[in-house]
Amino acid sequence: MRNGKKLGYICKYTPVELLEALGYEMVRLDETAAAFPTADALLHPNVCSYAKAVLESSSAAFTGENALCGILLTTCCDSIRRLYDRLRTEYPDRFFYLLDIPRQSNEFAGKLYARQIRDMLLTLSAADPGSFSPADAEDALQQFLSEQEKNCRPEEPTPDAPLKIGLMGARIPTQVRTLLTERNVEILFDLTCNGMTRELLPQNITEETDASPLSGYAFRLLNQFPCMRMTKASGRSLLTDGFTDRLDGILYHTIKFCDNFSFEYADFKRTLSVPILQIETDYTGLFAGQLSTRLDAFLEELSAKKSLPHKSFQIGSAKGDQPMYALGIDSGSTSTNSVLLNEKKEILACEIIRTGAKSTESASRILEMTCKSANISKDDLCCIVSTGYGRVSIPFASKNVTEISCHGKGAHFLNPAVRTILDIGGQDSKAIRLNEKGDVVDFVMNDKCAAGTGRFLEAMARSLEVDIDALGPLSLQSKETVEISSMCTVFAESEVISLIAQNKETADIARGVHTAIAKKSIGMLRKVGLEETLMMTGGVAKNAGVVAVLEELLHTKLFLPGEPQIVGALGAALYALETLFSG
Amino acid sequence: MGVVKTYGNIIKHFQPAHPEVSRRMITAGLFLERFRARHLSDQRIPKAYVELNTLAVGQILHGLKHPETTAWTNLFTPVEILQCFDLFCLSAEALSSFWSGFFIEDRFIDDAEAAGFAPTLCSYHKCFLGSALSGVMRTPSFAVTTSTVCDANFNTFRFIEKHCRIPTVFLDIPAVSTPESIQYVSAQLKELIHTLEEHTGKSFDVDRLREILQRENQSKDLYLRYLLEKAEKTYPTTLTLQMYELFATHLAIGSVEALHFFQSLYDEVRSCPTFHGKRIYWVHLLPFYHDTLQNVFNLSDTWQLQGFEMNIDYTKPLDLSDPLTALAKKLIENIYNRPFEEKIDLVLKTAHELRSDGLIHFCHWGCKQSIGGAMRLKEAAAAAGYPILLLDGDAIDRRNSADGQIRTRLDAFLELLNENGAV
Repeated sequence: MRNGKKLGYICKYTPVELLEALGYEMVRLDETAAAFPTADALLHPNVCSYAKAVLESSSAAFTGENALCGILLTTCCDSIRRLYDRLRTEYPDRFFYLLDIPRQSNEFAGKLYARQIRDMLLTLSAADPGSFSPADAEDALQQFLSEQEKNCRPEEPTPDAPLKIGLMGARIPTQVRTLLTERNVEILFDLTCNGMTRELLPQNITEETDASPLSGYAFRLLNQFPCMRMTKASGRSLLTDGFTDRLDGILYHTIKFCDNFSFEYADFKRTLSVPILQIETDYTGLFAGQLSTRLDAFLEELSAKKSLPHKSFQIGSAKGDQPMYALGIDSGSTSTNSVLLNEKKEILACEIIRTGAKSTESASRILEMTCKSANISKDDLCCIVSTGYGRVSIPFASKNVTEISCHGKGAHFLNPAVRTILDIGGQDSKAIRLNEKGDVVDFVMNDKCAAGTGRFLEAMARSLEVDIDALGPLSLQSKETVEISSMCTVFAESEVISLIAQNKETADIARGVHTAIAKKSIGMLRKVGLEETLMMTGGVAKNAGVVAVLEELLHTKLFLPGEPQIVGALGAALYALETLFSG
Repeated sequence: MGVVKTYGNIIKHFQPAHPEVSRRMITAGLFLERFRARHLSDQRIPKAYVELNTLAVGQILHGLKHPETTAWTNLFTPVEILQCFDLFCLSAEALSSFWSGFFIEDRFIDDAEAAGFAPTLCSYHKCFLGSALSGVMRTPSFAVTTSTVCDANFNTFRFIEKHCRIPTVFLDIPAVSTPESIQYVSAQLKELIHTLEEHTGKSFDVDRLREILQRENQSKDLYLRYLLEKAEKTYPTTLTLQMYELFATHLAIGSVEALHFFQSLYDEVRSCPTFHGKRIYWVHLLPFYHDTLQNVFNLSDTWQLQGFEMNIDYTKPLDLSDPLTALAKKLIENIYNRPFEEKIDLVLKTAHELRSDGLIHFCHWGCKQSIGGAMRLKEAAAAAGYPILLLDGDAIDRRNSADGQIRTRLDAFLELLNENGAV
C-alpha cells in the first residue's frame, strides 16, 4: 500500500524493495543539471559531477507536487558522503540517511548491513510517524517480493542488431542510452550502477543463509554484481568471458571527478582483448556533440573490424562514362577544409577557409570555391562526404563519417607506414592508432576543455602579443628553458603574464607554451600506444615550434603531410569514392 | 633546489630503460639527504626534527633496500600489527611525497594517466601507481590497505595486487561505530594476523603488540602535550617537517624510535623562547614544495604552523587489555572515517586549545572527501570567529598549483590576520 510519499535514492545497494514494501515510492535520482552554480559553491567544483547534479537539482526535487520527502544515501563514495553532509545542513527539515554499506559480502557483512537497515528504519519511522511500523518490515518485505515475482514478465527479445556492445563503468545519463538506441546498437549487458536489473526474489533472500529475512535480504543486496567499492570487484572482468562469442566492444563510461572506475578501465586496457571505448560525461547534458563523434568513431571501428558496411544515407552515384568527382568536407571548429578527388584518387582541388559562426554557410561556401577551383559544376559531384565537428549540419552531404575514421583513411592514403596520428585542431586534439590496413584500432580525444588545442595556442599568442603564425618560428630561437606548468588555458595565461612580468624572453616563453602542448599530446599518444611512423595533422602541425619540441621529446621524426589541415577532408573524399565504387 | 631538480631529471632519464639505475640514484640521494640533515642543516631546525628526518628517510631507504621486510600500506593501516612481524611500513602517500621531493612525480603521474587512470584522481595515488609500475621500486613482500578516508585506497591496492603480484590484505572499515562493526573489524584483524603468520613464518605475540600500543599511548600523550606547549613557544618548523610528522604519528607509531622522537619534541619545546607572532593551524595536506608557502612559513618566527589535523586523527588511549578491539575502534573512530562535522569539531576544538589566529585548509587535487567539506568548514570556522583561507592546489604535483593564485590569496589572508590583530 502506497503512503503517497517519495524517497529519493542513488545507489543500487539501497534497500529499495523494503521501502517500497513499507509504502514509499522510491525515486532513483538521475537528473542532469545545466550547470553547477549552487553545487560548486556549496561543495567544490572538483567533486564528482553526479553528486553535484543531485545537489543542484535538490531544491526542485523538494518542491511541487512530486516533492521528495527525503533522500536515502549510501557510503558508496567520497563525494556522496560529502553530499550527505551538505544536504543535511541545507535542508534540515528533510529526511536524509547515510547507509553504511560493508565492502565485504559474506554472511557477517550481511548481518552488519541488516543492522544498518534496521537503524535506518527506526530513524525514518521517528521522522515520519504513523507511516509504518518497523516491526512489520520483514513481513511486508516478503509479501512485496512474492507479489513482484508474480508480476515478473519474461524479457522481450531484442531485434538482431549488427553491433552488440556491453555497457560498464559509472552510472550513465539517459541521453547516452538514447544515442545508442538511435544507432541500432544492441546492449548485451549493462553493468553500470543505474543500468542493472534487480533480481531479489523471495526464495533468494533465504536460500543461502539461515539468518532472518532482513539479513538474507541485506546479504543478497551485497551480493549483487559488485561495484568498484566492494572487495569482490576484482572478479568483475570475468563477466565478459561469457560474451566473447557475441561481444563486439565495451563502452566504458566514467563521470568527471569520479575516479573509481578509471582503475577498472586501466585494468581492462591491459587485460581485455575486446575493443573498449572510454567516454566521460559530466552530468550537465552538454556532452552530446563530442560524445556523438567518439561513439560514431567507435562504431565505425567495430563495423570495420566486422567488415560491416558503413551506415548508409542517401548515396550519390556514378554518372555513366563521365568522370567521377568525390568531395570531402571537413567542418572543424576553426577551419572548414575540402578535398576534391577524381576516380583515380587524384587531388583536383583543396580549400581551407575559416568556419566562422555558421558551419552550414562555410560548408556551402567551400563547396562553391572547390568546384570553381577545379572548374566543374556542383552537379558534376557524384558523392559528398562530410566530417568534422559540423558534419551533421551539412545538408547537401551524401553521408557523414567521423573525423577520426577520416583522418585514419587520409593518413593511410598519404603514407601507408603511418601507425599513429596526432591531430591537433582548433578545439579538439586526438591521438589515433591504425593497423597496417589503415583501420582505426584505438583513439582518444581531449575532454571539452581547450587545453592542448589550437585555441590554447591562440590564447597564449594573444598574451604574448605575437601573431599566431609567428609563434612557431619565434620559439625556435629560444635559448633558455622556461616552464609553463598549468595546462588549463586560463591558468597558463596567467603564468605567461607572470613570465612576461619577470622579463623572460618572448621566444623562451613561446617554447614553454609549445612544450606544455607537446607534453599533453604525448600523454594522449601514450594512451593509444605510440607506434611509428607517427604523423601529425591539423592546424597546429603547421607550428614549427610544437613540431620541434615533439620530435625532441619523442626522439623521432614526425611525418608531416604537405597540407596538414586537409587530411580529414581527404579521408572523407576517399570514403565518398569508396561509396561510389561499392554502391 | 636546482641541484635536486637536475638530479631528478637524470633519474627520469634513466627510468624507462634502466629503472635499477634510477633506484640506485634515489638511494644515494636519500643517503646524502640523511647526511645533510644530520650535519649540514639549518641550525634553526630543532634537534627533534633532525631525529624525525632520520626516521622518515630511514623508512624509505629500508623499503628500497629490503623489500622482503617491507609492506606497502596506506597511511591508516594498523601498522602496530605489522611491527609485530618485523615488517616496515611504507605508505603510498609517503612514497609519492618522496618522489615529489626528487622532482620526479610528474613522470609517474604522466605514466599513470597514460595507463588510463583518471587525470582527476588524487595525485598521491596516481604517482604511487605510476612508480609501482615503473620498476623503480622493488615490489615488497606484502601489502595491506584499509578503506579509511578515500575510495582510492581499495582500488589502488587492488590494481597493485593484480599487476605487481603482491599478496594484499584489504581491511573494510565501517563508518559506524557499533559493537557489531567493532567485531567485524576485529575479525578482519585476526585474519590479517593469521595471514601474516603464514606469510612470515613467525608467531604472533600479543604481549609484543601490547608493548607497541603502550608506546603508542605514551607517544600520543607526549604529542598532545607538545602541541599545547608549542602554542606559547617559538618552535621553528617547515612544511616538509609537518608532513614528516606523519611518519611518527602513523607509519612508525608504537616504535621505540617514534617514542624517542616524541619525547625529544616535548623536552625541546619546553625550553624554547616565547612566541610573539601569529599562529596558523593547517587543515589537510601541506604542499611542501611550494615556494611561496615555504617563504612565508618555513622556520618563520612570525607565522608559526602549529600542526595539522591528520596527525591527531585519533588520540584516545588504546585499551591494552584488549588490543585488537582497541585497534578496531581506532580504525572505525578515526575522524576521516566519520561525518565531516566531526572533523570540523576537532579542528575548531584544537584551534581553540592552541589559541590559533587563523586556519588554512588546503584543497588537494582529487581529494573529494576533503574538498567536499571545505565550504562547511569555512562556514563553521567563520561562525566560531576564526579567519580561514581555502587554498586550491596539489600537495605533490607542481603542475596543478597556480602559484599566482596561491600567492594572492595567501598574502591577502595574512594581511587580514595582521589587520585583525587577532592574537
